[in-house]
Amino acid sequence: MFAVLHLADFALQAVLRTEPAIGLRPAALFSGHVRKSLVISINSAARASGVELGMTAPQAVARCPPLVIRAPLPAAEKEARAALLAVGFTLSPLIEDTAPGVCTIDLKGADAEKLVAFAQAAVDELTRVGLTSTAGIASTPLLALYAARTAFRRPTDGDLTRDRPAAASAHAITKKSTSKNTLASPLKPAAVVHVTDPASFLSPLPLSAADPSMELSGVLASWGVRTLGDLTALPRDEIVRRFGAEGLALWQRAAGGSNRPLHPVVPPQTFSAEMEFEQEIETLEPLLFILRRFLERLALELQTAHSVAAELEFTLKLEDDTTHSLRLRLPEPTLDLEILFRALHTHLESLRTEKSIAAVQLRLTPTRPLVRQQGLFETGLLDPHGFAETMARVMALVGPDHVGTPELEDTHRPDAVKLVAPHAVIPPPANAPVHPLLGLPLRRFRPPLAARLEFTEGRATYLWTEQVHGDISVQQGPWPKSGHWWQNDRAWARLEWDIELAGGGVYRLLRVGEVYFLEGEYD
Amino acid sequence: MAAPPTNLTALRQLLSERFPQAVRAPASALLTGIPCVDETVGGLPRHAVTELVCSTPSCGGQLFVAQLLAATRAHRLRVALVDGTDSFDPGSCLADDLVHVIWVRCDHTDPALQVTDLLARDANLGLVVLDLRHAPEAELRRIPNRQWYLLQRAVEATDLALVIVTPRALVSSAQLRLELTRAQGIATLEEGRLTLVSSMAPTLQRQRLSTPSLGSAVA
Repeated sequence: MFAVLHLADFALQAVLRTEPAIGLRPAALFSGHVRKSLVISINSAARASGVELGMTAPQAVARCPPLVIRAPLPAAEKEARAALLAVGFTLSPLIEDTAPGVCTIDLKGADAEKLVAFAQAAVDELTRVGLTSTAGIASTPLLALYAARTAFRRPTDGDLTRDRPAAASAHAITKKSTSKNTLASPLKPAAVVHVTDPASFLSPLPLSAADPSMELSGVLASWGVRTLGDLTALPRDEIVRRFGAEGLALWQRAAGGSNRPLHPVVPPQTFSAEMEFEQEIETLEPLLFILRRFLERLALELQTAHSVAAELEFTLKLEDDTTHSLRLRLPEPTLDLEILFRALHTHLESLRTEKSIAAVQLRLTPTRPLVRQQGLFETGLLDPHGFAETMARVMALVGPDHVGTPELEDTHRPDAVKLVAPHAVIPPPANAPVHPLLGLPLRRFRPPLAARLEFTEGRATYLWTEQVHGDISVQQGPWPKSGHWWQNDRAWARLEWDIELAGGGVYRLLRVGEVYFLEGEYD
Repeated sequence: MAAPPTNLTALRQLLSERFPQAVRAPASALLTGIPCVDETVGGLPRHAVTELVCSTPSCGGQLFVAQLLAATRAHRLRVALVDGTDSFDPGSCLADDLVHVIWVRCDHTDPALQVTDLLARDANLGLVVLDLRHAPEAELRRIPNRQWYLLQRAVEATDLALVIVTPRALVSSAQLRLELTRAQGIATLEEGRLTLVSSMAPTLQRQRLSTPSLGSAVA
């Protein structure tokens, strides 16, 4: 059994899914860079406004002034194709990239009773990633394609109309379905058609469904042959005798084709997406929209590879050809789309670039899912991703070098401390120290306050700084301290006193060279 | 019909009698390891704001914070220290008492409040300390009362205790307000840290929630 996922008007869908602003507005795709550009695809809003295939741009705009005109975008088509294949891989490891917007899936071994449900899930998944699709299930790839083309597509935002098959033939299928061929829902037009009786399914389909050549189509029409059923009712040998190999191929296509082997697609080994923008991006919203589209597809690909994302790496190419790269290591590997998106969103919120963005690339580093169970007494993070997001927001506010776990450096240099990343798991407490701490902790003034002193008989009796001043009632010291004397650029030396002011307060006073400072308050 | 309440306390009493189901259950508490605090008020209330007023120099505010770091280390709770004036000295603590600490060094009060608001909503933290002890008076005056209530609302949804160290009574939403008023002398520099912690005696200025360990028996 085979299934086909079909994206009608693939090129137009691919372009529109990158532009959320278009929504329900009429839109048309024009043929590429040729002198006389013609409409090659339109959405339902444009069709309702009177725009037709083959019109020139002035004709189309005359019919529909607010028409959005777009040209085919190969990068968007590549991304849409990758999304289609990613969804195809969720059904089976053996899939074929049959044509643009057509993915054929070998469902050999799948539970026959759940085929429609599987196909419907795939259609829903494609809807989630911004693609409107239909699916067909049949005994041959070609028959499944006919079924997919025949199925009704769900009316969604930006729904597209098809040039074939006509609504009349689809309606015929709906009627047939009550007897043999089944739809996902018997009460409403379904996006999935399961062909269980090929003859009755094919019989009412128009001859154009089998793609006859113009010449052959004309001859058969003059004979009164208008449906596939009319053609297959004719003896095959007589068709071959009159039309040769071309006639035989058409007859076989009209009969539903044969059970051919698929050309399998190799599952992606790297998980990346990139897009160059026709118009440079200057604000965050469209960039986030594209990145979300990327993530939706990459998450699907990772899912089918039984992997999760450990790291996100994204690169922005700016208008002036400079690049901005960022590598985000996730606190815990995950496949949760919202978490991945939030990680990107949080970092991009605080990003400012000098120039507008011309292209974007996103790469996920895969890893195996974490299966380790945390120990009963381990105190790891309850919500690692929430914690990472909080840290990112805090860093955006105060700067990344102002947040972290303090770690004392192995030196006697005063205030020698560095900030390291917070520990994922807090280790058990160490044993009590051999030499317990003495006295009040210091509350530092950073930088130390410049101090002026008054001396009486060689002893400091009055202290004045910007914040603190008063009579010195008690003093202890001095204690000379120095270090790194063997390194000219790092050598330090100073004298320290502990002083108490008459009005209250114990402070550390220090002298560096001939200058006095108040280093902190014992508190 | 009963006479209308004449003050705020009477109004609270009246509301708790009329709507007993709306009265919040006693909050769980975070033990500090400071005998006076744990025995008197049962520790620091979780999902609530505690204000520690340090009204005199060298009154032991930093000692209180260092003791909180040591106590939470013993329970392996994660702590965020939002340092409003970048005055925390890690060298005054044991290295092992810092491994669970996230130190956020701020230069001004506004970012410190924003950071506290973010951290107070994080489910991974057991304690958040905002130190505004040395913040300029002009910056403290600019903090609207609404800010304190926003912080209170933020911690209500989590399981953490929020401690704000201030130079004067400032935090209108504080459920518990302790004040350190006694300036320590230079002789305390020779005393053991444990002895100093044992002798700490903050005065209780306000307690709005009763804690399970002691109920309403407050000094």
